[in-house]
Amino acid sequence: MAGAAARGTGCVTLRGAQIRDLLDAKHNVLFDCDGVIWNGETAVTGAPEVVSLLKQRGKRVFFVTNNCTRPRENYVQKFSRLGFTDVAEEEIFSSAYCSAAYLRDVARLQGKVYVIGCGGVMKELRDAGVPVAEEEDAEPGASIYNCPLDPDVKAVLVGYDENFTFMKLAKACCYLRSPECLFLATDPDPWHPLRGGRVTPGSGSLTAALETASSRKATVIGKPSRFMFECISSQFGLDPARSLMIGDRLETDVLFGSNCGLTTVLTLTGVSTLEEALAYRDGQEPQQKDCVPDYVMESVADFLQALEE
Amino acid sequence: MAASKCNVTRLTEALSRQLLDSVDSVLFDCDGVIWRGDQAIPGASEVINSLKKNGKRVFFVTNNSTKTRQMYADKLGKLGFDASADEVFGTAYCSAVYLKNVCKLDGKVYLIGSNAMRQELEDVGIRPVGVGPDPISGGQKDWANVPLDNEVRAVLVGFDEHFSYMKLNRALQYLCNPDCQFVGTNTDTRLPLEGGKAVPGTGCLLKAVETAAQRQAQVVGKPSSFMFECVASQFGLDPERCLMVGDRLDTDIMLGSNCGLKTLLTLTGVSTVAEAEANQKSECPQRQKMVPDYYIESIADILPALQA
Repeated sequence: MAGAAARGTGCVTLRGAQIRDLLDAKHNVLFDCDGVIWNGETAVTGAPEVVSLLKQRGKRVFFVTNNCTRPRENYVQKFSRLGFTDVAEEEIFSSAYCSAAYLRDVARLQGKVYVIGCGGVMKELRDAGVPVAEEEDAEPGASIYNCPLDPDVKAVLVGYDENFTFMKLAKACCYLRSPECLFLATDPDPWHPLRGGRVTPGSGSLTAALETASSRKATVIGKPSRFMFECISSQFGLDPARSLMIGDRLETDVLFGSNCGLTTVLTLTGVSTLEEALAYRDGQEPQQKDCVPDYVMESVADFLQALEE
Repeated sequence: MAASKCNVTRLTEALSRQLLDSVDSVLFDCDGVIWRGDQAIPGASEVINSLKKNGKRVFFVTNNSTKTRQMYADKLGKLGFDASADEVFGTAYCSAVYLKNVCKLDGKVYLIGSNAMRQELEDVGIRPVGVGPDPISGGQKDWANVPLDNEVRAVLVGFDEHFSYMKLNRALQYLCNPDCQFVGTNTDTRLPLEGGKAVPGTGCLLKAVETAAQRQAQVVGKPSSFMFECVASQFGLDPERCLMVGDRLDTDIMLGSNCGLKTLLTLTGVSTVAEAEANQKSECPQRQKMVPDYYIESIADILPALQA
């Protein structure tokens, strides 16, 4: 099922009985959030029912999001607010949560992490017991030319940060001069969509600045990197062959699914378009093939036809 | 000239005389060539002043966007160099010229940069908006809806110590319009400072904006040939009678290769002879452009040939 594009197929529009057959073959369903089950503060019509029905049919449902701005408990509240019943914290995997898990369980960080990020990331790090270097706000005498460094910092984590400044860039760059200092990024998204077709700069743009400054490449936790899948799998034991990834962004969600050996579905309620998916399918570059979804559907609500029978 | 050598050639006194006789103009990079931060390289001012006494024209070509031509002239004067503002070509000045003459900008520019850049833009009659601190306020909804000045027709990115998410956001909003031009002063990843320190350079800020906007900027600074064309068009230079002296293979020497100038690498800055030789041995045509005709330990070593 995965790697359909290698055979020159992919982008198959799912209809009727095919949807039922697909769901029968899968035990785990992984949903991206923004653009798939909700847009901003509005649930995609039918999405809450789909999630509920999947669980009733005995499927395991997970939410895999690159959005690092909220801690998991905030996500639980958002789910509830938008009409999704019974979504548990354990089912939510954000890049903030997974970055903290990585530092604690994979890197086994001995020391502190210097964070360029917002409240969501800070909270997840604290909850995971990972020490964060304190940000001194107005150190007398501190400037971009002479910033005080914490000798206990052994990792730098960069993510979306609306309070990003040149000072933070300079400080992070200083820490990264030591090759033993880890360099992590929550996610690679260059921009995020907002309502009305507007966009806002994403973690990827801040990471690019820091990679350029330090001449180092960040280890990226979020999609399309495999780590978030490995994080879920380490807790729940997922068989890729029986797992389905549903997303709206080809270069993030679909590529993630391909990288992890999952069957992929593109929904058209978010960022990527059918035209873009077809362009990847019909294009010449071999690496583009991994961005081709196995299936395409208008919206997750299309699952309702199969689930309500 | 470079391709036929087995090793990069050291500039001896005899070769210096020959080289100087073959050129009328000498273009110097600044950081790592004639000064380091606030300190002149010993002997550098004597070399520059001597070149002029010998009838050579001298220009200063730097990617640094934090000073106006006049500010550079003041610094040069303080360090003992006989130089005037019109001999200085920094990217603050050259970007203003680029926007005016190449982009044919008719309107304002959203500027991520210094007061020096603002000054140079105003001096060519372009109105910049956005200079100075710009902290975040409000929420995400507000950022996407920041009021845009509808006279802005270009975004220009240079070195800006006040760079912030809000500035990145504003630039992104303007650049969502494909008709809005996108220019960067340079791609250097580090900005050298006084006392041998360095901070992240303009290249980092430019990369952030390019990534968010998913667009490539037009870059004014070395190794783009615009910097040389700027000097040449004002002073009527013949590339074959010009020497480019620099400390970086990827900016100064590359510029020289791109424009058909003779090139001299000085070892008082960033690049090394080993790097130059590695480039020479490589099969890659891009790397071949980063091989100087000659190298010298310091430009002060030219002095004997000038005084002979």
